[in-house]
Amino acid sequence: MSIEVMLKEFAEASAHPYRLIKEYKAQGKKVIGVLPYYAPEELVYAAGMVPMGIWGSNSKTISMAKEYCATFYCTIAQLALEMLLDGTLDDLDGLITPTICDTLRPMSQNFRVAMEGKLPCIFLAHPQQRKPAFGLQFTMDQYQHIKAELEKISGEAITDDALRNAIKVYNRSRAARREFVKLAGEHPDVISAVNRSAVLRSAWFMLKDEHTAKVEALNEELKKLPVCNWKGKKVLTSGIICDNPKLLQIFDDNQIAIVADDVAHESRPIRVDAAETGDPMMALAQQFADQDYDVLLYDEFSNQNRRADFVVKQIKDSGAQGLVLFMQQFCDPEEMEYPYLKKALDEAGIPHIKLGVDQQMRDFGQASTAIQAFADVL
Amino acid sequence: MSIYTLGIDIGSTASKCVMLCDGREIVAKSLIAVGAGTSGPQRAIAQVLEESGKSREDMAFSLATGYGRNSMRELADQQMSELSCHARGASFLFPDVHTVVDIGGQDVKVLQIENGVMTNFVMNDKCAAGTGRFLDVMARVLEVKVEDLGTLGAQSTKNISISSTCTVFAESEVISQLSMDTDKRDIINGIHHSVASRVAGLAHRVGVRDKVVMTGGVAQNTGVVKALEEELGHIIYTSPLTQYNGALGAALFAYQKYQKEHRD
Repeated sequence: MSIEVMLKEFAEASAHPYRLIKEYKAQGKKVIGVLPYYAPEELVYAAGMVPMGIWGSNSKTISMAKEYCATFYCTIAQLALEMLLDGTLDDLDGLITPTICDTLRPMSQNFRVAMEGKLPCIFLAHPQQRKPAFGLQFTMDQYQHIKAELEKISGEAITDDALRNAIKVYNRSRAARREFVKLAGEHPDVISAVNRSAVLRSAWFMLKDEHTAKVEALNEELKKLPVCNWKGKKVLTSGIICDNPKLLQIFDDNQIAIVADDVAHESRPIRVDAAETGDPMMALAQQFADQDYDVLLYDEFSNQNRRADFVVKQIKDSGAQGLVLFMQQFCDPEEMEYPYLKKALDEAGIPHIKLGVDQQMRDFGQASTAIQAFADVL
Repeated sequence: MSIYTLGIDIGSTASKCVMLCDGREIVAKSLIAVGAGTSGPQRAIAQVLEESGKSREDMAFSLATGYGRNSMRELADQQMSELSCHARGASFLFPDVHTVVDIGGQDVKVLQIENGVMTNFVMNDKCAAGTGRFLDVMARVLEVKVEDLGTLGAQSTKNISISSTCTVFAESEVISQLSMDTDKRDIINGIHHSVASRVAGLAHRVGVRDKVVMTGGVAQNTGVVKALEEELGHIIYTSPLTQYNGALGAALFAYQKYQKEHRD
């Protein structure tokens, strides 16, 4: 299969997640909605169900959700609720609601109240202190709760063997996506910013083994390509999400390659794998504990500005010439982190731009101007 | 043989053209007070051609910039971000410029320039506060012409504080001040300081170094320029060509592109 055909398949899956839900349902599978961030999807997979990532929408407008939400909630959360209320996600069999930021915490209760009697909502509270033994135990307890709730929905027990298998499937998926990110950065002439996003975004909607097989096949084809002599510019992207094809098209139009990312929707959740041996529940808790350098995660050494240093290193290692930060409107963690990131970038002499984004944006004229000017600066 | 190049700046509220001869001499310029999505671009081009006595075919290279630049694909040979064009235009008018503050109809941009080249920049978020639109809204509420704001604000005798965070809230504040019979001239002065405060906050993010040049339509408002000088603590230079600065930069880049094409 040609690279072009493969990319079309990813684009199709990325553009039509609701169609995929219907297809999985037609196969007799149950589908569990999974909100951001760091939900243990492996448990859903091990239960024989389909985890379906819900990261807002680039085409919906907030209307019904306004009844439940403060205006300063991010659009990712509000649009997720909108889709639950307007019937878009009626085929879901359950919903996992992580509560890792100040918006998702109260939103978890909005989801519960709005979906009462209609959709089981499974509450997930990650510990702030995720690394010490008591933090690991807390995570394990939370995951046990999710496991029990998922078992109620599926009607089947989740065995340790099934969970170990799920961990293997997910580790393989993360490895394939990490390799794809690297290869996409090496071949921007073939993998456009729009296509890169589609490959990574579709991972949230497809069963991981199916997605991984496609990514691995694509990676094999990319490895065969000759070295690309890229004449355009190279950047690293950062932020919560940047999956709007219209916005990403501006990068392609201006010959700007995304050679690596620090994006919550793309590479942040695939940096760390889980142990494939031992107690699988502990392996998942440890995997969450091992996550790092994320604005959403507590950092006991935050006074050392480790996260910003990590991003600077990522930029240098990837050969990026600058950073494009997609600042999600009303995202407190990202907003509060920005001055520290800026300081580290300025000290390292790395240019950057901050683009305010919101999933209800339909006009990208200002972003286009900023991105085009940034390309001139690099 | 002389080489003529055309710079077309399609902003959100005005369309401007500058025609250059040999990348040095301004042959003609035009300004139509409507911008992207209107008849403004076509009329501005027609006017500049008429003024110069030249035709489209005489133009060796045309380059479009501004918010509406992408709608000019059939009329211009290339499109370029207005930030780069403003940097180029300001460097032409003020060779030792290091900071450009451009306040347009819906954008505020602060550019850092080194040896005539833009090295860094910052833009406002999607918010009208601190932009030309903010002044348009306030002028309408105050029932004065936007071009008279500078003169009226200079006659102020009392400091009035107007919010710098939001156009809608600031408009309410102005209405509230009017209902208390506050002198319009003092309110206008407060509005100028509100714009300056907002723009200064942005400018400090990228750094301010002399020589500071202000471009865009709002640079014609002496009240905003003075208030911004006070906020930044730097002298601000403006040019009579301030509104044409983006188009001038575009015409300069057009000349450069023409030369490159013919050298290659």
